Amino acid sequence: MSTVRELFLSSVKNFPDNTAVVEDAKRVSYKEFGSMVDSFSSFLSSKGVNKGDTVGILLPNSLEFVIAFFSIANLGAVSVPINTAFKKEEIAFYVNHSSAKLVLTQEKLKPLAEEASSEGNALVAVVKGKSSEWIFRALDNVSIPEVSIEPNDEAIYLYSTGSTGKPKRVSRTHLNLVALADNHTETVGWTEEDKILFAVPLSHTYGFGNFISSIKIGASIVVLGDFNRNRVLDLLEEESITVFPAVPVMLDVLAKTYIAEPKDLSSLKLVISAGAPLPGKIFHSFYEKYGIYPRQLYGSSETGVISINLSDDIENTFNSVGRHVNNVEVHIIGEDGKESGVDEVGEITVKSPSMTRGYFGLPEETKKVFRGGYSFTGDLGRIDRDGFLYIVGRKKFFINISGYKVDPSEVENFLLKHPKVKEVVILGINDSDGSERVKAVLVADKGLEKKEILEFCKDEIAEFKIPRIIEFRDELPRSPTGKVLREELK
Amino acid sequence: MDIEKRVKKVLIKNALKDIDPKELQIDSPLIEYGVGLDSVATLELVVALEEEFQIRIDESYITPETFETIKSISSHISQEI
Repeated sequence: MSTVRELFLSSVKNFPDNTAVVEDAKRVSYKEFGSMVDSFSSFLSSKGVNKGDTVGILLPNSLEFVIAFFSIANLGAVSVPINTAFKKEEIAFYVNHSSAKLVLTQEKLKPLAEEASSEGNALVAVVKGKSSEWIFRALDNVSIPEVSIEPNDEAIYLYSTGSTGKPKRVSRTHLNLVALADNHTETVGWTEEDKILFAVPLSHTYGFGNFISSIKIGASIVVLGDFNRNRVLDLLEEESITVFPAVPVMLDVLAKTYIAEPKDLSSLKLVISAGAPLPGKIFHSFYEKYGIYPRQLYGSSETGVISINLSDDIENTFNSVGRHVNNVEVHIIGEDGKESGVDEVGEITVKSPSMTRGYFGLPEETKKVFRGGYSFTGDLGRIDRDGFLYIVGRKKFFINISGYKVDPSEVENFLLKHPKVKEVVILGINDSDGSERVKAVLVADKGLEKKEILEFCKDEIAEFKIPRIIEFRDELPRSPTGKVLREELK
Repeated sequence: MDIEKRVKKVLIKNALKDIDPKELQIDSPLIEYGVGLDSVATLELVVALEEEFQIRIDESYITPETFETIKSISSHISQEI
């Protein structure tokens, strides 16, 4: 198996009667799923999508997202998942940068998608909602062009946030994705009996990696468009969910959610926490409420899944992201360029068959990050004598908001567009519960108020990038060489 | 303590750590302080309110109208108690 088409066709063939996707009242078997992918592929073909074309997926977690991704891959085209929390300019960047030919969306996002696509040549098609242009009909003969897909053909563009001001395009091939699914499922031991709840976005590398792994193994996936904590709790019980990938803030909210009647979560065997470090307080409070410990997973857009903590001694190792998954190598490299010893801190480097070849159009950045067959993650860590990886910090400069990475320079550049803002510094500060928050320190014309800044941001940048703390100063503290002393502003 | 004072206390502790409590009136538009802009922060506020009042706040009530002012939040909570 070396292409995404083979990956899903194998599950369609081996588990035709298994439930593939559940969304609200919709319940689709693998057999129906296969027919839907045929039907959707035919629809995409009628829209002019051919092998090598790029198609944006601006959809929440949904049956249509799942069908769209596999149909695009079925035609040898390339998917670009776009976060539905993004605003016009952000969506436009993804559409234009990926040269998308078509953007698939839902009814309520159509105007936004059209505005964002107006600069390029991308068409917009509504595929979810009452005015959907795609209507599933199980036909015996659907017209899908015969396309030869090679393992090294590109299948998806994910975008990685760094400190370059704009997200960097990461291309992953069919073979990369199949390898990711193989390595992850073999390590975790998932089977076709598993039922996996997706409240984390499928458009994000974390949700996506778990999602493609679930389909590869023939498991059932239950998708939730928004994180609705009461609905999550109901689904965990009603659907007898066995695996729940989450981010720490979700686990925190669930641990604090008031429930009148205890929930029967006896089917749940794996709760995954990723995207941001899992604070001990949340690890314990979630266990106290639901009787299951969350386990940390580590991955990146560049490499896919790297490690997961499946320790038998989870109480004492909860702050580890675990051992590397099958076929993935992890080494810690010190400042001297040599491999660190047991428990010595250095940069985490990864070699994986699911790894990208580099950043599109950024040769210098690619050379810096991808060296000697390894991805230098920019995260600092150590490996203990049992092979457990601990992340202790990062060299890269970004802010992590519940798993979404915020590039400070992107927000700084945006706020500098405000006519009253003269200088701005964006920082990540840790809240008392261990979560990171965006803080803005501004030098501005007199009279500028916090509410004006919030209003300025509201419809222009995604909500997770909006500063939660805003401080006004007469001037910024600087070193004798003129460099802003950022630490003094925290 | 009445409901409005308790709501204000929860807001100051969870969502509005960087403002002067005296500045916040029961009819101050909370959107001007960023409340409601961020769905994760709003959710954190909702669970804090649930914890304070030992009630379940259904997701359907998490709307800009409910979170407009301390008064509007308190009014919803008084119906649930």
